[in-house]
Amino acid sequence: MVLALRNREKIAIEALYDMYSSSLYGVISRIIIDTTTSEDVLQETFVKIWHSFSSYSTEKGRLFTWMINIARNLAIDKLRSKDFKNQNKNQELENNVTSIDEQRNTIYKPELLGIKDLVETLKPEQKSILDLVYFKGYTHVEAAEELGIPLGTIKTRLRMAIQQLRKHFN
Amino acid sequence: MEDIKAYMETGILELYVLGDVSPQEKLQVEEMAAKHPLIKAELEEIELSMELFAQENAIEPAEALRDRVLNSVLTNFNDDSTFSAVADKTEANVVSLPAAKSNSFYKYAFAACLALLLASGAALISLYGKLQDSYSQIATLQTNNQHFANQVNFKEGELQVLRDTSFKFLKLQGTAHAPDAGLTVAWSPARKKVWIDLRSLKMPANDSTHQYQLWALVSGKPVDLGVFDKTADSADMKEMKSTASADAFAVTLEPKGGSVSPTMDQMMVIGKF
Repeated sequence: MVLALRNREKIAIEALYDMYSSSLYGVISRIIIDTTTSEDVLQETFVKIWHSFSSYSTEKGRLFTWMINIARNLAIDKLRSKDFKNQNKNQELENNVTSIDEQRNTIYKPELLGIKDLVETLKPEQKSILDLVYFKGYTHVEAAEELGIPLGTIKTRLRMAIQQLRKHFN
Repeated sequence: MEDIKAYMETGILELYVLGDVSPQEKLQVEEMAAKHPLIKAELEEIELSMELFAQENAIEPAEALRDRVLNSVLTNFNDDSTFSAVADKTEANVVSLPAAKSNSFYKYAFAACLALLLASGAALISLYGKLQDSYSQIATLQTNNQHFANQVNFKEGELQVLRDTSFKFLKLQGTAHAPDAGLTVAWSPARKKVWIDLRSLKMPANDSTHQYQLWALVSGKPVDLGVFDKTADSADMKEMKSTASADAFAVTLEPKGGSVSPTMDQMMVIGKF
């Protein structure tokens, strides 16, 4: 697959899309609530993957890790870009209640109901740190500020949360 | 071993997988992973679990997005070939293809006809030009042919004179007025024909107001036998008016068109039988 992508084979990017688009879209659409924008980011992600594939090497880790980081970075950039912030500011007043709700709420989206059990296995403090870093696009430094917890604790909690996930999947 | 464990405990590997490390930290982690298989294995574990976590959280994007994304990937790579859609969509598309094909067929056919028409027109024009050339060549050849036919007829007449035994040849001598002059006359009393040989004519060229006139002396009286010119290239035989009898022939220089009676002091040559 990696070889086929290097050789710029059409079929490889098609297969890549079929295998990973839903996983990538799952993360993107939790960082960005708006469907249209999420779809744009997914498109940009695949363009970037295709374009800068030469910079990926199997030595550095799993292909998915490389791709998800591209997707998350693009999504976070979009979230923080001026256009997107203005767009949110310009929303009409009466819609604000629901849209603010939507922006704060990642867990209660209907698509997410299935994984509720999984996240339930995490302790509340593990859940909130994973939420912030993985789904809200916070850096761990920002998360420490947001939660008022020392950096070291954040790192430990994140590690514990991920170890919990590992246990769950094993 | 203890160092490695402590290093893993800091949680840096998790942040590395999440892409939340500085470039220096990133290099450091990569170096450590290259050095210590344990760290590499730990990294792989974390990566795998995050991948599985993402799979659990997967949301299927809208079906229409697939074509859009894949097309934009290829467009971005300056590749104009398009992706085939999902199988059932492709079948729906196939229906419209033959129509598009036949459309372009007629377009090409029309273009071909037009090109053919233009080519035929050009060929016609060039052929017409050649035809005109041929016509003018034929006209020239016909003229030449006529000319040769005339010459052959004329030479026939000349030959007739030479081969006919009834012709007598008389060399006229120059008079006192023109001692150097001379002319050969052929006369057939039986056929009443008189020819002169202009090749043998030795006389000065006449001007435009005068001509030489041939006379026959019949019983002492001059009879007009017609006029002729002396020009630079005159070399043919010329048939003159006919006479059945003649005692002598003479040539005088007369005003253009000839005279009724000869001007005796302008007599150039004379010869008697």
